[in-house]
Amino acid sequence: MTASETDQQLVQRAQRGDLRAFDLLVLKYQGRIAALVSRYVADASEVEDVTQEAFIKAYRALDKFRGDSAFYTWLYRIAANAAKNYLVARGRRPGADATIEDVEAFGDAELISQSASPEAVAMGDELAGVLEAALQALPEELRAALTLRELEGLSYDDIADVLGCPVGTVRSRIFRAREAIDERVKTQISGDSGFR
Amino acid sequence: MIGDERDKEALSALMDGEAQELELRRLLSAIASDAALRERWRRQQQVSELLQNRDIQRPDIDVSKRVAASLSHRSTLSRNPLWSMAVAASVTFAVVMGGQMLIPSAERPVSPLISDIGGAVVPVMGAQPVQASLGAKPLPVTNRQAEEASSAARQVGAAYERLARDRYLSLNGQHADAAALIHPAPYVLSLHTDIGAPAKDQDSQ
Repeated sequence: MTASETDQQLVQRAQRGDLRAFDLLVLKYQGRIAALVSRYVADASEVEDVTQEAFIKAYRALDKFRGDSAFYTWLYRIAANAAKNYLVARGRRPGADATIEDVEAFGDAELISQSASPEAVAMGDELAGVLEAALQALPEELRAALTLRELEGLSYDDIADVLGCPVGTVRSRIFRAREAIDERVKTQISGDSGFR
Repeated sequence: MIGDERDKEALSALMDGEAQELELRRLLSAIASDAALRERWRRQQQVSELLQNRDIQRPDIDVSKRVAASLSHRSTLSRNPLWSMAVAASVTFAVVMGGQMLIPSAERPVSPLISDIGGAVVPVMGAQPVQASLGAKPLPVTNRQAEEASSAARQVGAAYERLARDRYLSLNGQHADAAALIHPAPYVLSLHTDIGAPAKDQDSQ
C-alpha cells in the first residue's frame, strides 16, 4: 500500500460522509494548498479564506472524484480554480503567469520561494536546521529506516528487505524515529506561528 | 504497548499507507476525541513534507477546524430526520391536496359536453367527460352517460386517494422509525423493556 492509497481509503470514507476521514485529508494537505493559493493571493487572511473554501468545494464535489488521478492532483485543481475565481470576483486579474498548468509545472519550492516573506524564509530555515539536527541525532537503525521511507519512498516490505529485518521492526523503527524528531521540532511547528 | 502508543504507531503507519483497515477505523475514532493525536498527525505530515522538500517554506495555517465546523453544520441540517420528515410531509400534503383537486365532488358537479355523434364517454382525471366531436358542435351528454362518466371518475378518484393515503402512511412509518433512533426520550424504550422484566423475574423465581 502507498500513501496515495491511504488517501484513497480516506476519500472513500469521506464519500460515505465520514467527516473525520476528510479532516485527516485537510490536515495533511492544507499546508500545500495554502502554498498554492498564496501564489495567487498575497494577503495571509485571504489565503486562509480561499484555502478553506477550496476544501469545502472539494468535499461537496467528492462524489465526482473517481480516483482516476491522485486525490492531491484533483484537490490542487479545485484550489487553483477557487483562487482564480476569488480574484475574478473581486475584480482582480488572476496573475497571467498563474495558470493551473503553470502552477502544476512549478515545483513547490519554486512556488514558495517567490511568495514567502523573508520572515517565513528565516523560520523555515530554522526549522530545517532543527530537523536536520534531529535526524542526525537518531540512532543509525532508526535513521536508516526513516530515510529509506521519506527520502527514497520505499514501502515497508522493501525497507525490510534492504535492512534485513521483519516488517514489524521497520514499522516500529520508523515510528520511533518520528517520535524522536517530533519531540525536537514540535515547539517550532505547533501554535499559531504564522509562517513556519 | 499501551493504547496511546499503539495509536501513535498506527498513525505513523497510516502516513505511509501501511495501516490496516481496522487500525484506520480505530484511529478515526481516537482522533475525533484526542486533540493531541490530531495535532500529531498534522505536525508529522509537515515534517514528512519538509524531509522530502528541504528548501520550502509555506504558510503555516490551520483551516481544518473551520472546514470541519462548516461541513458538520451543513451535514447536520441535511441529515436531521426532523428536516426530512418535514420535507416528506410537505410533499405528501401537496400530493394529497393535488389529488383532492382532481376528484369530482358534489360541490363541483360534472357538466359534461358531448357531440351529436355517438361514441364512448371517457372519464379523464380533472376533466369533464367528452365525446369525440369531429368538428361538430359539442352537446351535453345524456343523464345515463353522465352518471356512468361520473361514477368512473369517482372510482378513479377514490383509487388515487387510497394510493396517496397508503403512500403517506408508509412515509410516516419510515420516518417515525428513523426518528425513534434519536428519540429525545429514550426512557420510553427502556420503560417498554422494563415492563416485561419483572414478569420474567417472577417466572424464574
